[in-house]
Amino acid sequence: MNFLIVVLVFTLMEPITWLIHKYVMHGFLWILHKDHHDHSTPGHLEKNDYFFVIFAIPAIALFYFGALQGYNYMFYIGLGITLYGMAYFFVHDIFIHQRIKIFRNTQNPYFLAIRRAHKQHHKYIGKEDGECFGFLFVPIKYFKMFFKPSK
Amino acid sequence: MQPYTYLLINFFTIIICFIYSFDRRIQFNRHFGTFAKASIIVAIPFILWDIYFTKIGVWWFNDAYVIGWRIGGLPIEEWLFFICIPFSCVFTYFCLTKFFDLSLFNAFNNIIVFITTIVCAVVALLYFDRTYTMVTAIVMICSVIYFHFIAKQEWIGQASFIFFVLMLGFFPVNGILTGSGLESPIVNYNPNEFLNLRMGTIPIEDAVYGYAQFLWNIYFFTKFKKSTERIENAITS
Repeated sequence: MNFLIVVLVFTLMEPITWLIHKYVMHGFLWILHKDHHDHSTPGHLEKNDYFFVIFAIPAIALFYFGALQGYNYMFYIGLGITLYGMAYFFVHDIFIHQRIKIFRNTQNPYFLAIRRAHKQHHKYIGKEDGECFGFLFVPIKYFKMFFKPSK
Repeated sequence: MQPYTYLLINFFTIIICFIYSFDRRIQFNRHFGTFAKASIIVAIPFILWDIYFTKIGVWWFNDAYVIGWRIGGLPIEEWLFFICIPFSCVFTYFCLTKFFDLSLFNAFNNIIVFITTIVCAVVALLYFDRTYTMVTAIVMICSVIYFHFIAKQEWIGQASFIFFVLMLGFFPVNGILTGSGLESPIVNYNPNEFLNLRMGTIPIEDAVYGYAQFLWNIYFFTKFKKSTERIENAITS
C-alpha cells in the first residue's frame, strides 16, 4: 500500500510539474525562472535555484506530519515527491545538461526525445513563448521523431 | 600510558599526513599558512559549541584518558582535535583533487543539498528536544544552503565524495574516542540529548557534525588558497 502511494505520487508529480512549470514558473514566478532561460545576466547566480527550496518545503512538512502520526500515508507522499525531485536532478542536471558525460552518444529514443524537447523549450527566452513544459514525459511527436526507423 | 590515549590519537591522525606534506610531488607544506588561517576560523565557532555542550552536559570527557590540562572546560587534547582532524582531512582533499579530476561528482551538488536539507529539517523538527541532534541538523542545513545558494560553491559533490573516503579514518579515530577497544569511552554522551543511533560506537550525529566541520574547512581553505595564488601570480607576472 505504502509502496503504491509512492509510485502514484511519483507519477502524479509529472502532470503537477507540468502545471507548475507552465503556470507558475512561466507565470507569476517568472521572475525567478527567467534567468534559467536568459543567461545574459552577469554572474552564475540563478534565481531559478530557489525553486528547489520551495519544492522541498511541502516534502519536509509531509515527512514531519506523517512521521508524527505514526509514519502514515503523508510520509509516503513526501517520499514520492522527494524521489521525483531526485529523478528530476538526475535527468535534468546530469543527463540533459551533461554535467557528467554519460549517455552522450545514446541512441535510446526516450532519452533523445526528452533531450530534444528540453532544447525546444529552451529555444525561447520569453515568458509567454515556449512549449514542452513536461519533464519526464514530453509530447508524443518527440518520441515519434526518434522512434521512426532511420533510413 | 592511559592518560596519553587522546593525545596519541591526535598524534597518529596527523603524523603521516604531516610527513607527506613535504613530499616533492605534494608540497602541502607550502599551504600550511593557508590551512592554519582556515582551520582557526572554523575552530572558533566549533570550539565555542563544544565548550557550551560540555558545560550543559550534552557530552563530557573521561579524565582517565587525558593528561589533565583544561582550557574553558575542554581538555587540551580536544583543542588539538580541531587542528589535527581538519589537517588530515584538508590534506586528503588537497592530494585527491590534485592528482584526480573529481569534478564529475559536482554534478550531484543539487541532489546532495536537496536531500541533506530535507532529511536534516525533518530530523530537527522531529527531535527538537534532543539538543545535539537538533543543533547538528540545523548547522548542517545552514551550511549547505550557504555554500550552495549564497556562496555558490562548486565543490560540494567532490568534497562529499572525499568525506566518504575519509570515513576510513573517521571510523577508527571516532570509534576509539567513543569507546571502541577501550574499557570506557573517552567522550560520553547524555542519552537524552541525541538519537542513540550508533554506527559501532559512533553516534550518527558525530558523522554529520564531522561533515559540516569538513565542508567549512574546505570552504575557507579553497577561498584563502585562491587569494594567495592570485597575489603570487600578480607578483611573478
